Amino acid sequence: MSLRPYLTAFGLQWKIGLRYRIAVVAGLVAQMWFGAVTLMAYASVYHAAPDVQAPLSLRQAMTYTWIQQSLFTLLPLGCLPAIGDAARTGSIVYDLLRPVDMWNWWLSASLARLLGNAVPRAVLLACVAGPLAMIVGLGAWSLAPPASLISAILALVSIALGALLSATIVMGWNILTARTLSPLGSYAVGTPLAVLLSGMLLPLPLYPDWIRPFLLVQPFAGITDIPIRIYLGTPIPGGVATGLGLQIFWLAALTLLGRLWMRQTVNRLEVQGA
Amino acid sequence: MQTPLSTSDAITVRDLRKTYRIREGGSWRGKTRDIVALDGISFSVPKGQIAGFIGPNGAGKSTAIKILSGILRPSSGEVQVNGLVPWTNRVAHVARIGVVFGQRTQLWWDLSVGEGLALLRDIYGVEPERFARNRARLADALDLGGIMDQFVRQLSLGQRMRAEIAASLIHDPDILILDEPTIGLDAPSKLAVRAFVHELCRDRGTTVLLTTHDMHDIEALAERVIVIGHGRILADSPFEDLRMTTLSERILELDFHDTPPELTLPAGASETAREPHSITITFDPRQIPAPALVAHVGHLPGLDDLRISRPSIDEIITRFYADHPA
Repeated sequence: MSLRPYLTAFGLQWKIGLRYRIAVVAGLVAQMWFGAVTLMAYASVYHAAPDVQAPLSLRQAMTYTWIQQSLFTLLPLGCLPAIGDAARTGSIVYDLLRPVDMWNWWLSASLARLLGNAVPRAVLLACVAGPLAMIVGLGAWSLAPPASLISAILALVSIALGALLSATIVMGWNILTARTLSPLGSYAVGTPLAVLLSGMLLPLPLYPDWIRPFLLVQPFAGITDIPIRIYLGTPIPGGVATGLGLQIFWLAALTLLGRLWMRQTVNRLEVQGA
Repeated sequence: MQTPLSTSDAITVRDLRKTYRIREGGSWRGKTRDIVALDGISFSVPKGQIAGFIGPNGAGKSTAIKILSGILRPSSGEVQVNGLVPWTNRVAHVARIGVVFGQRTQLWWDLSVGEGLALLRDIYGVEPERFARNRARLADALDLGGIMDQFVRQLSLGQRMRAEIAASLIHDPDILILDEPTIGLDAPSKLAVRAFVHELCRDRGTTVLLTTHDMHDIEALAERVIVIGHGRILADSPFEDLRMTTLSERILELDFHDTPPELTLPAGASETAREPHSITITFDPRQIPAPALVAHVGHLPGLDDLRISRPSIDEIITRFYADHPA
């Protein structure tokens, strides 16, 4: 089996992701804005209750927010746009006509699209919220450096797993789109789930004690929450190994389930008309 | 025990059936109803033949095409294409066929034609030399030289269809499936597509399965016509045979420089229209051969001109469908 088709699918979506430079700048401005508002909210909450022993320090909560904002486009908010278009126009039949493994073909495209969107934004935002903020004297509001070199390396491994996990969840939305022949359902379901359960809305470590274990073991935590915890060096119940283990578990489980669902979908995909 | 399917044919289909189950009503647990799209069709296409596949909308053509392409699983029946069962050997099967759906696009809107072809090269694993050769040959035959660097979204329909056909052939498929390849095209583009398909079949021995609603495509290309209706094969014959059995009658038009005279016509011929300066006669050449009829009317006073024509393929097909109602 040749890897070439999958690299090609990856390269195409990566290029499309990078093509929209204005969207990158616009997204950056929006994320800076939301990040700043969130930070101010945290600052007032933390200063209003200095005695409470929060699971994250103010600085950690701010760093969590910055990383979360910079990785916003890494979240599985909906299906791959190209698959949404193909489902609407019917050219999705051509995807079935390619001599490729459909799962790997769509997965590599979905991963490339996520990375092509997220990587430039993340790098830009990290520069602005990190070194640049410190230089202009906003050090207290800035993105803190990783807890240690080990944390930095493990966080990179974890974010790579997180990206793959996100692409695997996007595959679920892709299959949903192929079944319903419309991308709308995937966005309606995907966006709220991803924003809420990834910790984008509120860092998962800041939820009440009783719900925190559930939030940690659901798959969306593996996209950005676990990598950020490793970066910050905040304790994960069971340690870093549990964090990485959860990511790998969900990757394997969702791949297995997704492939089954995909096979069943391809068998019944009946594109009407023409 | 059944005899095994022949492997010398490019396409073999035996007793193919497909039933769709559709849900009626918008409720959560709607009632389902079965729709029979294919009700047991059998045919085979030898290597290198152009077979036309025609039938009214909803006849089951598209269902059959999708099953042969490997993107739809039949309810029952046997199919072999290039010796493979399309839906069980999907990847191996689709690597050896080319498909054009006239109403859909396989090229990428955001890429140029040339970039799209290069992507397909990678997807099908075409070696660089073979790709360069095929690309040059297709660009020449389909007149793509000027549009290789244009974005697909900027192409006219005729240009896009030529690019689509090139895209379906970049990996040298043994079988080309064309689903309404001339839909919406202007006359020169249609002629170009037909000429290309003809050459492809003649020079490279590619087997072509063609569906169309444009009967001129069939007349120009297909050595053989498979007519499908209500999920069954209604006719499977060379086009001339279909013409003979369905609508063998011919038409003789006579023009006069004055009011036409009254006619007495031999058996097998009848007057079907009368205008101030012309008469139309419909006749059956098996009863009264054309030369005899012409000899009969040739001496009429005031006759200026006469023309003999055959019914158009559209008329033949319309008659054929009418003879095989639901």
